[in-house]
Amino acid sequence: MWAAVTGKTMRYDAFSKCHPAVNFLFFVGAIGMSVVIQHPAYLLAGIITGAIYYLLLNGKKGWKTILGLLPMFMILTVINPLFNTLGATPLFHFGSRPYTLEALFYGAALASMFVIMMLWFGCYNKVLTSDKFTCLFGNLIPSISLLLVMVFRIVPNFIRKTQQIIGARKSIGKGISENATTKEKLQDGGTVLGSLTSWALEGSVVTGDSMRARGYGAAKRSSFMMYRMTGTDWILLAVMLVLIGATIVAACLGQFAATFVPAIQLAPVSWGLAAYTCYLLIPTALHIKETIQWHISRSKI
Amino acid sequence: MAHFQIKDLSFSYPTAKGRKSLDGINLSIEKGEYIVLCGKSGSGKTTLLRQLKSVLAPHGKKTGEILFNGTPIEKVESRDQSAKIGYVMQNPDDQIVTDKVWHELAFGLESLGCDQKTMRARVAEMACYFGIQDWFNRDVANLSGGQKQLLNLASIMAMQPEVLILDEPTSQLDPIAASDFLNTVRKINIELGTTVIITEHRLEDIFPYADRAIVMDGGKVIADDIPRNIGKLLYEQKNDMFAAMPTPVRVFYGAEGSGDCPLTVREGRTWLSKTYPEPTISTLPAEELDDEIEKPALSLKELWFRYEKDSPDVLRGVSAEVPTGTLYAIVGGNGAGKSTTLKAVCGICKPYRGKVKVFGKPVDKYKSSELFGGCLAMLPQDPKSLFVKKTVREDLTEMTKDEKRIAEIAAVCEIESLLGSHPYDLSGGEQQRAALAKVLLTSPKLLLLDEPTKGIDSFFKEKLADILCKLKEQGITIVMVSHDVEFCAKYADMVSMFFDGQMLTTDTPRRFFGNNSFYTTAANRMSRHVFSMAVTAEDVVELYGQNMGAEV
Repeated sequence: MWAAVTGKTMRYDAFSKCHPAVNFLFFVGAIGMSVVIQHPAYLLAGIITGAIYYLLLNGKKGWKTILGLLPMFMILTVINPLFNTLGATPLFHFGSRPYTLEALFYGAALASMFVIMMLWFGCYNKVLTSDKFTCLFGNLIPSISLLLVMVFRIVPNFIRKTQQIIGARKSIGKGISENATTKEKLQDGGTVLGSLTSWALEGSVVTGDSMRARGYGAAKRSSFMMYRMTGTDWILLAVMLVLIGATIVAACLGQFAATFVPAIQLAPVSWGLAAYTCYLLIPTALHIKETIQWHISRSKI
Repeated sequence: MAHFQIKDLSFSYPTAKGRKSLDGINLSIEKGEYIVLCGKSGSGKTTLLRQLKSVLAPHGKKTGEILFNGTPIEKVESRDQSAKIGYVMQNPDDQIVTDKVWHELAFGLESLGCDQKTMRARVAEMACYFGIQDWFNRDVANLSGGQKQLLNLASIMAMQPEVLILDEPTSQLDPIAASDFLNTVRKINIELGTTVIITEHRLEDIFPYADRAIVMDGGKVIADDIPRNIGKLLYEQKNDMFAAMPTPVRVFYGAEGSGDCPLTVREGRTWLSKTYPEPTISTLPAEELDDEIEKPALSLKELWFRYEKDSPDVLRGVSAEVPTGTLYAIVGGNGAGKSTTLKAVCGICKPYRGKVKVFGKPVDKYKSSELFGGCLAMLPQDPKSLFVKKTVREDLTEMTKDEKRIAEIAAVCEIESLLGSHPYDLSGGEQQRAALAKVLLTSPKLLLLDEPTKGIDSFFKEKLADILCKLKEQGITIVMVSHDVEFCAKYADMVSMFFDGQMLTTDTPRRFFGNNSFYTTAANRMSRHVFSMAVTAEDVVELYGQNMGAEV
């Protein structure tokens, strides 16, 4: 939802144009499964598909985030064996505690789960903007969803006003000087915060008036729906449900089983991986399909 | 049946100790009328407007009656009131509730519990009528002030109100956005027959088109007539409100003209050319501009600045020299970079190229305590950003402990009676003066003002001008950024045009506005075919008088 807060514009993306329910279900599936699956093959599939879609959404800037995740991955991987000393193959001893290969692999698996989650959450933020979120849950809990929407508006407003106050104070010589003590800095921060509060209070009175003037509380609220389920949405939903179902069946059959400590034991890779990968590739496939269609239709002109 | 019938309405706030904010008001407003309500700040305009919608009516003692379509307003159901009486307020930002344009448009309809089909149709309809389609999916935060206010209007019109009440809707907008907004309101009135009741400082754009103008003073209605008669009445009564009349009206009565009073620039031109087809004296002396400025108070050399690394440049080689002891005005369109220039002088923005010199010394060579303590200070666009305490006095004490100095400055800014009030309880003009007092306590030699006339009425504008003149006499140099061409023409010593990130031309106001034909004052537009170099109503009146003398 940060995308809505910072007001950044979206790149073109086919999946983002689908109904929010489809978007939401996809991310529930993708993130939900990534939390439980520890099998390296599936983790690899998760990382690759997540990274591709993240790059499609963010363009070149996406590389920065992905590369930024790399050190996180390393740290999480090497830390695990420090706490988890189980495992058959000690690499070296850390004082009296063994540092084992199995625990290291286990750490890598946990770190991969973390990276996958970060990637999908990153995509989620881009795709499921605040208005889509409220559209989904607006009818269930109207007052809370309105509250959320108002908060989205307030945060950037506050940031802007704070900068304005600090600038205004600086231009009458009340800014923080170069050699201010921590106490002075705190005091100044307090003053700015106080001013911001009265400003916000005054603004909220106007907002309240404006809401009541437009009938807030005069009748039972309804919610305006920007999105409608189209044929494509229904098809996508069906495909997603089939693939999720298949993946769950595969999980029940033990295809995802993976233990790292004390010894590494992995279930053989089977059709479950195909179902899982296909599921995660849905947004990317949609993106590619629309791009190709666009080029074909253009070349016909 | 009248749309609104106000019978003997009086109102006093609980804290006013019996002083009436509204005093025996009797008004009748017909369906489809376009009514301008004018009066000084604090004359009771807003109080009256708020009485017309129960949820907004302030608490206090009320006597008399308001009938809406023949029913007492309290008895009209709140659902009906919400839908039928639309109310647009002053601040474009705070009125907006949600974060998306489309959601804001639908907000009122959601509140009334409309079904999807109706909402879709209405929202689409409104977006088209108001030309919002292009920014329909945008975040509200990315809109300009004018767009925000238009959105507020559209989201109210989506509920299809019978009456539209607007309380100084354009006071926070620049002139172009303001006249766009007012044209839309007029279009609504003409095309849809919606009754419009509006208060405004900027009467130039709406006065000629109103069916009726109502003037309030001290909580009473002192005039209620067609606009053409109002000017005469105010002139004869020597009312302060006369200063707010459109330029043609002020020129006409100022020159004691005869015949029908002109209301628009076009009518004014016709009237002038009928009286003086070939005037004997047709120009006023215009001061020459000195090319060489000795010891400028502020000099800017080739400033370049952009907000973000890959955003376009806002300042693209700004150069200017401001002579000591003058009032220097910078005019120009919205977003041209005028305010950014002032920020660059104060060091809030750091130009990546170019030099700012204050009194001959580069600004980065000053220590910040030295620069802002007795040398340079800026009054920001929103005076509220300077208030941090509970009373005006405490706010001033934050700057200096010297009681005598505070009293002195308070007298200059005429805020002695306001010292005990909370800064947020003051009107726009009062806030502006209180903030100015706070700025002046740093005893600056160079004072920067960012849109000082924004949102204040003509009466306060004159007060502000008096204060600025006093400061100039004390040798303070003032640099002002403004949209208000009338104010600049009347009071500035030099005017610069800011366009496309640069300072394009600089001249004395008469030569500057006298040579422009679009970006100029109403007085100049009205008189340029017979007089040259007449840029204020006073100039035109003077030339008129001189010609009168020459003929005799």
